[in-house]
Amino acid sequence: MADRTMPSRSPLPNRPMNDGIAMSDDANRLDGVAKVTGSAKYGRDVMPKNGVFVSFIRCPWGHAQARSIDEEAASAVAGVLEVEITGREGRYHGEPIGHIAAESLAALRRARSALNIEWDPEDADTEIGSPEASHDDDPDGADHVLEAVYTTPVQTHSSLETHGTSIDHMGDRAIIYASTQGTFSAREGMDRVLGMPQSRFKVVCEFVGGGFGSKLNGAGKEGLTAGRIAAKYGRPAWLFCDRAEEHLDTGNRPSSRTHVRIGYRDDGTIVGGSVRTWGGVGVAGGGGGVVMPSNRYDLGRIRKQHADVRFNGGGPRAFRAPGHPQGAFAEELMIDEVATATGRDPLELRMKLDREDERRSMYELGARLIGWKRRQPTGTQASVLRRGFGIGSTSWNRFPARADAEVVIHPDASVEVRTGSQDIGTGQRTAMAIVVARQLGVPLDVVHVSIGDSSLPAGPASGGSVTATNTSLAMLEAADNLKETFLERIAAQLGVVAGALKIREGDIMQDDRRMMTWQEACAALGSAVSGRGSRSRRSDRQYSGSGHSMGVQFVDLEVDSETGVIHLNRIVAIQSCGRVICRKTAESQIIGGVIQGLSFALFEDKLLDRNTGAMVNPNLEFYRIAGPADMPKIEPVLWEGNQTGIRPLGEPPTIPTAGAIACAVFNAVGSPVRDLPLRPDRVLDAIEGGRS
Amino acid sequence: MKPFSLARPRDFAGAGKLAKDRRFRLPVIKAGGMDVVDHLKEGLIEPDLLIDVLRIDDQPEIREADGAFHIHANATLANIAASRSIARRAPVVAQCCASAATPQVRNVATAAGNLLQRPRCWYYRNSQFDCLKKGGHRCFAFDGENAYHAIFGDGPCHIVHPSNLAIGLSVCNASVRLTGSDRDAVSLADLFHMPDRGLLSEHNLKTGEVVTEIHFEPRSTSAFYAIKHKQSFDWPLVAAAAALELDGDRIESATVTAGAVAPVPWALPHVGEALVGVSLDDDTALRRACATSTRDARPMSDNEYKVRLLPVAIRRAILKAAGREVMS
Ligand SMILES: Cc1cc2nc3c(=O)[nH]c(=O)nc-3n(C[C@H](O)[C@H](O)[C@H](O)COP(=O)(O)OP(=O)(O)OC[C@H]3O[C@@H](n4cnc5c(N)ncnc54)[C@H](O)[C@@H]3O)c2cc1C
Ligand code: SF4
Repeated sequence: MADRTMPSRSPLPNRPMNDGIAMSDDANRLDGVAKVTGSAKYGRDVMPKNGVFVSFIRCPWGHAQARSIDEEAASAVAGVLEVEITGREGRYHGEPIGHIAAESLAALRRARSALNIEWDPEDADTEIGSPEASHDDDPDGADHVLEAVYTTPVQTHSSLETHGTSIDHMGDRAIIYASTQGTFSAREGMDRVLGMPQSRFKVVCEFVGGGFGSKLNGAGKEGLTAGRIAAKYGRPAWLFCDRAEEHLDTGNRPSSRTHVRIGYRDDGTIVGGSVRTWGGVGVAGGGGGVVMPSNRYDLGRIRKQHADVRFNGGGPRAFRAPGHPQGAFAEELMIDEVATATGRDPLELRMKLDREDERRSMYELGARLIGWKRRQPTGTQASVLRRGFGIGSTSWNRFPARADAEVVIHPDASVEVRTGSQDIGTGQRTAMAIVVARQLGVPLDVVHVSIGDSSLPAGPASGGSVTATNTSLAMLEAADNLKETFLERIAAQLGVVAGALKIREGDIMQDDRRMMTWQEACAALGSAVSGRGSRSRRSDRQYSGSGHSMGVQFVDLEVDSETGVIHLNRIVAIQSCGRVICRKTAESQIIGGVIQGLSFALFEDKLLDRNTGAMVNPNLEFYRIAGPADMPKIEPVLWEGNQTGIRPLGEPPTIPTAGAIACAVFNAVGSPVRDLPLRPDRVLDAIEGGRS
Repeated sequence: MKPFSLARPRDFAGAGKLAKDRRFRLPVIKAGGMDVVDHLKEGLIEPDLLIDVLRIDDQPEIREADGAFHIHANATLANIAASRSIARRAPVVAQCCASAATPQVRNVATAAGNLLQRPRCWYYRNSQFDCLKKGGHRCFAFDGENAYHAIFGDGPCHIVHPSNLAIGLSVCNASVRLTGSDRDAVSLADLFHMPDRGLLSEHNLKTGEVVTEIHFEPRSTSAFYAIKHKQSFDWPLVAAAAALELDGDRIESATVTAGAVAPVPWALPHVGEALVGVSLDDDTALRRACATSTRDARPMSDNEYKVRLLPVAIRRAILKAAGREVMS
């Protein structure tokens, strides 16, 4: 058998610019091997013995009434436990109108077809449409006015692990294996459906296969339905979406429409105007906000209005920087349109409009790294392949959230980091191990992380980039408290004063003399010692630092002007996140954010059939997501700026990518493509003179 | 999925017999199984017998005899793409295989399976749409989401032919060898039919006919060019295959077939004729000849862009065949 072990450290990625910035330069993702070999078990992988399988009955059309449903036939299918219809109207493709519970997935499938539902389709609205804007008068002091409409499609989260919950019901207690971004919020309502106090069940999510915001919905309908069935039959229950259901009914980034009427002067100064935005929220009541303007640029006085538009589609959920990529796409492209109209270089114009001095230094670095000097003025190329350069910017504030932590030193010399909050694939597990190892003064190899379990110390749900920033404060405090207790006990054994001892690389030192090895010291303890910490005003003051995350991205691409196909050459992503904990997972977050952003820019589009309202691409073939051959060289740059402390990193790197790409395409072909995704036909339309 | 029997015949003749076996309602042949398994999962077919032919290796995957190439039905796209001899003597075939799908798909996909795979129309692939191709009464693409559908043909079904290999082979005078009936070969051109000649299937094989080999002739000045939106894991928006005979820079004869624009590999004999005598150095003439490709095009609501892409793909296939820079 092949060697499946991987060292916890390995050579550095070849990005010298990022060397020596992070607390750990060479640590590998702790669970990397488990994930690629499949030994990591996700909630979806847990199929408890004697379990009941559950699935929703869903509306297949955009809007329809179920005229007849053969519940009897479905109930009669061998292995079916129950069929429950809760409603007859489906308002979007994928809306549940009931559920089936059965002994096997095969029985579920048979029962679904035995239902033989006859649907009466009704008219369905499939998109946001073109709502009219009534704009105010032109802004004062403008030489010119730019009026433009920018649109973005519905993007689905497409988490690799689909939504769902597996419940191991053991009579008077239960373990809930949830695929969730909130170990603790996933308990909400479960006590009610399980008929058990929270003290009798716990949520476990050691590994979560992506969420991007879509798994911030508490127990979710999947969890609550599985819970009800588990309680009713007193058996384990399993309910996970399949790939189509994942596209249809687990949230999305809502579509957007941004209509700007903006005044500017001959020198490119923007003097204000009006921005009207609409968000396509499906049947939901809200959640379609578009962050435009971003407030990163001085655009004069902007009058902003927003309205959500309903149609026959699944509702939105938070999606990695909700509202931001849509807004940034409109804002960056709008700025480039003003720059081009006034004959100014977009870089120079941003240096002028950007409110943040630090970002100006980032622009300078980014321009150098991407080779901005090679950029030709917009619309001046006539060759088949046209080169384009573009810029986008980003920012993210730190939000406070409740977080506790516990660190334990065991007599066998292992250190356990305990945090109930989850690692949704970001590298949280690895980051917390590094923070603790460093603060205690022990090698990373002795640190083990217990994570994603509601019986462990509480932590935040992973939304708003709050997990690492807040949990790390609790960890630092816990490690300091633990060190104090530990050294007191060792000092007592050695008969020295506690203050005289230090831990260095695991060795117990007095001045420069090694008093004990780590192993000796831990063995001498006799029993485990632990320290606790929380994110509080006190730990915040002591450890948190100041400033917020920001960044810029530069894109270099080529457009094939005969086919409209875009080839991305390079994306330079400069990003600050304060004190970098783990270099590799930090770079990976930035790269991942860029990939999600470029996929949004070029490909993704949840498409509802205009006649039936059914999604025509509910799979990963027709729903296009960027693949390996679509990848540019992505160069993450960890920026050591004015920020201190640990700062958000999950969301900011995905904000500017689509806007920067759209700007680069504009630069290459001479007219803006104002609709995402930047499909070849749209690019051709733009080249041929705004036929769109 | 309904339970089915699985048979593993030792040779293609055995497979042909099973395919005709009256005891079974719907026997289905499976090679690499990629398309067959997709159909099973989506409930598009419910066979009671699956005839697995993948292990039949009675011949080498690729051989040359009588000045022609003979490809085993089970040769993988990856191996065809990797064959030095095909790359040198029939580059269009190597290239069309190399450009299909992804490395994982190409390692499993067989030549016969690729030719006979079913269309990718998203209404066809989704079991909830009872479209014409599935015995229903309506083509949902006609007035629906048809960005990836045909710009040629009169319907009533508007699929595009899915096989890259078929496009490449169609400029190499190809035929498929058969077993299981009274004929032992059919030309590639006769293998497929337009929707007005039958909707439920795209090919003309009779029950019990199994493909054993594919024959084609070398075309040393040939090339395949696909325009793709996404470069990984995606289908061409438009593709073209061209085989040329050159006299210096002058085209003496040309065979051109377009892909992803019609329900069958779309042979364009009049483009071939228009190309005769054109010098590759005369780009205006070359473009003019390529532009004739769209003469009979009748795009639908969302695929007019294909009309713009087709002459580009053909011109690039020609330049590529001649070893010239395509982005000029
Ligand atoms: C994401 C994705 C992208 C793709 N992109 C492309 C692309 O760009 N271009 C392209 O050409 N293809 C593409 N494919 C399709 C893929 O190449 C085909 O599915 C594959 O070639 C089918 O081969 P198989 O051996 O798996 O066939 P199977 O699934 O085994 O069979 C396919 C059909 O052929 C019949 N069959 C197989 N062997 C014989 C035989 N000897 N005699 C008679 N009938 C037979 C079967 O009955 C069945 O109807 C893509 C597939 C995927 C999943
Ligand atoms: S194009 Fe053909 S396969 Fe697609 S919906 Fe129309 S009839 Fe069906």
